[in-house]
Amino acid sequence: MSLAAVGILGIVALLLILFCLGMPVGFAMALVGFCGFCYVVSFKAGLNMISAVLWDTFSKYGLTVIPLFIFMGQVAFYSGVNEKLYNAAYKWVGHIRGGIAMATVVACAAFSAICGSNAATAATMTTVALPQMNKFNYEPKLSTGAIACGSTLGVVIPPSVVLIIIGLSTEQSIARLFYGGIGAGLILALLLTLTIYVVCRIYPEWGPAGPQTSWLEKFKALSGALEMVILFSLVMLGLYFGLFTPAEAGAAGSFFAVVISVFQGRLSWKGFIASVTDTLRISCMVIMIVAGAMIFGRFLAVTRIPFDIASWVVDLPVSGMFIMMIIFAIYIIGGAVMDALALLLITIPIFFPVSQELGYDPVWFGVTITVVTTLGAVTPPVGATTYVVGGMAKNVRLEEVFKGVTYFLPAYIICILLLMAFPALVTFLPSLIK
Amino acid sequence: MQTLDKISQILNQALVLIGGIFLVGMIVLTCGNIFFRTIWVPIPGTFELMGYSGAVVAAFALGYTQLKKGHIAVDVLVNMFPKPVQKLVQTINFAVGFIFFVLAAWQITVKASTLRQTGEVTETLRIIYYPFAYAVALGCLVLALVLLIDLFKLFGPPRESQS
Repeated sequence: MSLAAVGILGIVALLLILFCLGMPVGFAMALVGFCGFCYVVSFKAGLNMISAVLWDTFSKYGLTVIPLFIFMGQVAFYSGVNEKLYNAAYKWVGHIRGGIAMATVVACAAFSAICGSNAATAATMTTVALPQMNKFNYEPKLSTGAIACGSTLGVVIPPSVVLIIIGLSTEQSIARLFYGGIGAGLILALLLTLTIYVVCRIYPEWGPAGPQTSWLEKFKALSGALEMVILFSLVMLGLYFGLFTPAEAGAAGSFFAVVISVFQGRLSWKGFIASVTDTLRISCMVIMIVAGAMIFGRFLAVTRIPFDIASWVVDLPVSGMFIMMIIFAIYIIGGAVMDALALLLITIPIFFPVSQELGYDPVWFGVTITVVTTLGAVTPPVGATTYVVGGMAKNVRLEEVFKGVTYFLPAYIICILLLMAFPALVTFLPSLIK
Repeated sequence: MQTLDKISQILNQALVLIGGIFLVGMIVLTCGNIFFRTIWVPIPGTFELMGYSGAVVAAFALGYTQLKKGHIAVDVLVNMFPKPVQKLVQTINFAVGFIFFVLAAWQITVKASTLRQTGEVTETLRIIYYPFAYAVALGCLVLALVLLIDLFKLFGPPRESQS
């Protein structure tokens, strides 16, 4: 059997194990990579490879950034920061039609600037914002759809674990990817807000206006969100001016998140312990997928499949833009059936070289595929964020949440098209980094 | 079986505690390094200590994450299978996972032993680092233990409902 055939067989075996056995993604990639490597090279070499890759991955300095940023987000989560952010957004835009749903999206965007978890954002926003929207008789499709889609901003707006992983697996600057994510995230947040505005113009009864608030109340509410703005600025400016490495930014962010939360009496000992254990669990899950992807990547490298596919695709008699749209279609379908992070780690070794051969900017590619895969977080059958909202929202059926999400899908599509038509929306800010 | 489960629970709790301490240590060390670098000189060896601490954080949580079913899987299709097929699929998963992580633990132990015998030290601090490699091997072994218990539970009597 030729090496290319072994490589393709390996990819097929991985997909079969993932879908038909439901084996954890990290384990499946490691197993297929190990077996394939043993077949191509030797069993002894395969054993040496897994020990070397596992040790190198677990002890890699670059990967320490993952638990540090996750911890910062968990501390913010357990100290109830999103409640304050929501309150601030509510006071500012709650009085307009659909305003509470808009406030939810704004609060999601703000919380995403500290926490990179969709599920954590969705869970809190369902608890905090949904009762408020129910109180004002919001249509459940609009309220739950806004929460589910707003929560997906978590992986686009930095700091984002997905962007960190893309940076590490493609050997790009994480800081540049973070700055690229700001443009894409803000555009997506704006488009989601616009969707609410348009939906409420068509169905005014879906999002009745909330009560008016005085300017004093508006500015008072801002003070609750101010410290998180400072925290985000500290992290991003430190990265911008090259004062911190990404791991240092994560550590400094975590440290100040704990200090701020403790001084304000919002983080209990129980909350701190929960932040630590959640961080360990989530980081371990992420790092295990990275290790699995590394082992699988070693196998793919010996078969030379990524390079063969890249050169084959480049020679196709179609435009680069067409190929890119096919890749995005694969990501949309893939994102609908599996977790974004796992999908990216499996496919990046194949599609990243293709994008580079086609001459696309690596930061643009990384950020755009992040936006594309976030669609999968709200669409069936996986739609993890939608399940969180559907599971937590009382008296709202899951089908209604999914229906609500469909109103927001054009926003994602427009965002992706805008990023394709105007790559500078992503690449401008990273180009300013010193 | 219950004893094995109890041992696994206690072991994983202990490892998570140690992992948590290392996580906090990483934050303190990095912030200390930023502070001292600003006012005087950086703390030597911060990068290498961070890497090895990160290894402990991730490896010691391997079993705990499996206990909490925290490793992401694509179970859309599997959930549609009849119960006996689901049981068969889980049996294969746990058994294969167990074998793989036993192999991984064994190979990393071999690597750690080589590092110990050759007296390998870190570049900056010139300290031995094989204990961290043993820690990663231990993490893999504990994960294998949790997978083995999961496998046994599939064939054991149905568990009493937990509060």
